[in-house]
Amino acid sequence: MNEPTSRSLHTRREFLRTTLLGGAFSLTVPFFLEQTFMTMDALAADSAIQTTTGKNGTILILLQLAGGNDGLNTVIPYADDAYYRARPKIGLKPNQCLKLNSYCGLNPRLVGLKSLYDQGHMGLIQGVGYPNPNRSHFRSTEIWATGSDANDAEAQGWIGRYFDNCCKGSDPSVGISISREVPQTFAANEPRGISFMQPEQFRYKKESASDPTSVDSFYRVLQQPGGDAGGVGSNEGGSIGAISGSAPADGSSLDYLRRTALDAQVSSDRILEISRKQKSLVDYPKSQLANNFNLIGRLIAGGMPTRVYYLSQGGYDTHSGQQGTHDRLMGDLDGALCAFVEDLKKQGNLGRVVIMTFSEFGRRMEENASGGTDHGAAAPLFVLGGGVHPGLYGRYPSLTQLQDGDLVFNTDFRSLYATLLEKWLNVPSDKVLKRKFPLMPFLT
Amino acid sequence: MLDSLSASSWSLHHAAHLLNRAGFGGSPDEVQAFHAKGLETAVKSLIEGKDDDTLFPAPDWAKSRDMTETRTELVSLPEDQRKKIQQQLRMNGRDEMLALREWWMTRMRYTEWPLREKMALFWHGHFATSIEKVHETYWMYLQNQTFRTHGLGSFQGLVKWMTRDPAMIRWLDLQQSNLRHPNENFAREVMELFTLGEGHYTEKDIRESARAFTGYRFDPKTQQFAFAANQHDEGQKTFMSKTGNFDGDGIVDIIFEQPQCARFMAKKIWSFFAYENPPQDIVDILAEEFRAKNYNVGGFLSSIFQSSEFYSKTAYRTQIKSPAQWIVETSKTLETKIPDTLATENAMRQMGQVLFAPPNVKGWVGNRAWISTSTLFFRYNMAAYFVTERISKGQEMQGRIPIQLSMEKVAPAAIRNDEEALVSSLEFRLMNAPLPARERAAALIYAQRYHGDMTDARIRDLLLMMMSTPEFQLT
Repeated sequence: MNEPTSRSLHTRREFLRTTLLGGAFSLTVPFFLEQTFMTMDALAADSAIQTTTGKNGTILILLQLAGGNDGLNTVIPYADDAYYRARPKIGLKPNQCLKLNSYCGLNPRLVGLKSLYDQGHMGLIQGVGYPNPNRSHFRSTEIWATGSDANDAEAQGWIGRYFDNCCKGSDPSVGISISREVPQTFAANEPRGISFMQPEQFRYKKESASDPTSVDSFYRVLQQPGGDAGGVGSNEGGSIGAISGSAPADGSSLDYLRRTALDAQVSSDRILEISRKQKSLVDYPKSQLANNFNLIGRLIAGGMPTRVYYLSQGGYDTHSGQQGTHDRLMGDLDGALCAFVEDLKKQGNLGRVVIMTFSEFGRRMEENASGGTDHGAAAPLFVLGGGVHPGLYGRYPSLTQLQDGDLVFNTDFRSLYATLLEKWLNVPSDKVLKRKFPLMPFLT
Repeated sequence: MLDSLSASSWSLHHAAHLLNRAGFGGSPDEVQAFHAKGLETAVKSLIEGKDDDTLFPAPDWAKSRDMTETRTELVSLPEDQRKKIQQQLRMNGRDEMLALREWWMTRMRYTEWPLREKMALFWHGHFATSIEKVHETYWMYLQNQTFRTHGLGSFQGLVKWMTRDPAMIRWLDLQQSNLRHPNENFAREVMELFTLGEGHYTEKDIRESARAFTGYRFDPKTQQFAFAANQHDEGQKTFMSKTGNFDGDGIVDIIFEQPQCARFMAKKIWSFFAYENPPQDIVDILAEEFRAKNYNVGGFLSSIFQSSEFYSKTAYRTQIKSPAQWIVETSKTLETKIPDTLATENAMRQMGQVLFAPPNVKGWVGNRAWISTSTLFFRYNMAAYFVTERISKGQEMQGRIPIQLSMEKVAPAAIRNDEEALVSSLEFRLMNAPLPARERAAALIYAQRYHGDMTDARIRDLLLMMMSTPEFQLT
């Protein structure tokens, strides 16, 4: 075992001990406590052999623009008459656009992203989608989450399969979703990854008890594995032996619950601690999205071993009166992303992070009668980060050769996934995506 | 069939296990009474049940309406009014779903025929249909009633009902399937998910059967099933090496002739009630039994519930409670109400089982997939909802109802100073089984510490501790 590993084992062990004994443990030390510590040491040794989730690994951040972002008003084909013919009311004028080239430009609210693009931190992938596009939010979100074909119902998420295939035995916080529910993207055979809206909620609420100290002590002790064989006069060796190996794939449900409980307890303590202690290096704008990025920034700075973060910005389903809403969303997105990138830069972590935005579909080329747009198909998306090669990728889809009134994709979204898996997370993508997709050059 | 459990080994723990799995558990008194029936009568009472329809009248909105009328009306209105009405309709829809979920959860809690509700829950996960695409609350209700009415009858019959179920017809795009372009979505799922499992049919079987299911539609005027003869393909179809002018029923009948159908479903039903991944020899025995019972679900379950394997170590207390099971079983064992509408709605969402909105057509994965770090924390913290009585005036004004846990019932004065008796009583109530030694020791230490001073507040803490454990997540 090399030096850093044994050091982290030491740290983890210390950490567990202080967590358990810190605070007033008012009871006389029960006889099962000692045994518990031995068990926990064995567990700590187990979890220390995790090189995939080291503090210095690369990090992927997935930002979902929920509801179907209007790609045409995000990256505007200002030089194309067809755009203005289709969108007499909500089309953005050429002089408003932040020009990227002689054909298209960014939404005027994306000032910060434009400068990140100019500084070389952003790639823009055009015409992203998939064959036989589905226009249901529900179904298309699922297709993006699972990376499945349009006619194939797949239960597990693409990141979930990455966890299953490539992060065996990793820390549970290998994936963090800032959301109430675990996103389908994380759905896995053996669920990994944790989700919460606020760190303060991601914890055992001992204050519900009338004697919180005792209840909390019991809670902490009783989550430990090895209880079955423990207790009065039992054979200590048996319980430790039972947990000293790697995660038992065929272990009992109780075993599984106990492991998850321990995972929850340990990651909760860590997340709470980091979110309390760590201060942001920049001022974030005031919005939910910015708050969430702020939290992720602090978790990264605090050294969480997380490889994938997931968060979402809602409100993109702009069927009517789109302009005001979409402008506001773009501004919010721009402010939050720029503050986050600035934060990472100051931390010295920008080179470790890639952010990808995505949305379940773009919107119809033609505006509707309510000054909005209906569900469409292909759309552009952004990739940001210190390691991203800047530039435009893919082609802007033709505005005249439509399919059912929608833009036709030329980049399969799974090519992006494959690229991120191979070139950023450094794993074979076909294991996760079940087949090969062409890799893209936005990463080395 | 599998070896039967001998009547003499039928214990209180067997009774509790059966009541938990075939239903949603019960209070200690209910478990006692169920045990007293004896194995055979107990099983019979589950299967035959007691109709309780009158106790749970349908929500008043749950009736058919003319969808075309609404559509025509809407089109005729000026835009701003139309939008207003559409918004109102969406809000009504949300309220109706809340009401429907509460209606079903209440029914699970107070039903006099728990197996029927449990089976409806199974079928909902099997024929997993979501309001997110169906959008008609009445249809979700209708499908739920079908699961209730036919769920313990013939499985073959139930599949035929599903081909005529408006929610299913919309969910799997049968409405759009027509003579010229048969939609294959439904045909595929019928075989892949509902009857045979992947790999037991060909793509040609899908194409041919899709033709047989053309014309299976709903009538938007009545909101009921209506066979559209002019859209039905009357031609010859070759399906699983049989040729004929099959309609949907004809296809279903051929599927049910396949031995794989019994294997697939027997295994799935067993996994839901007993344990997952049964060995092949057990699957074969179960499949044979299911076929011998002519795919009658009640008859098949009766055999399962009387088999000794159902009570084996592999089955006993190895299942992770589904969120619905967690809420209903907890309120049954503690003899409380179920949490009020919004609390239950939130809890089910947080724990990952929004009824009438399964994540996809495959339904909920279940068992271990219920448990993540966040859902486990939620379960632990939700325990406090049941055992602490903290409702602010403001919450009361909003209609939140206290859960009404009776401390005297849960911990009678007579046993409060007898720690052994107290802990035994609580563990039987909560788990129907002895706690593991360490948990039991912990609970005893706590109780002994307050010997002579076991107040309600301390009993509540003790309950909280016992419920915030991995052990409590099992049933």
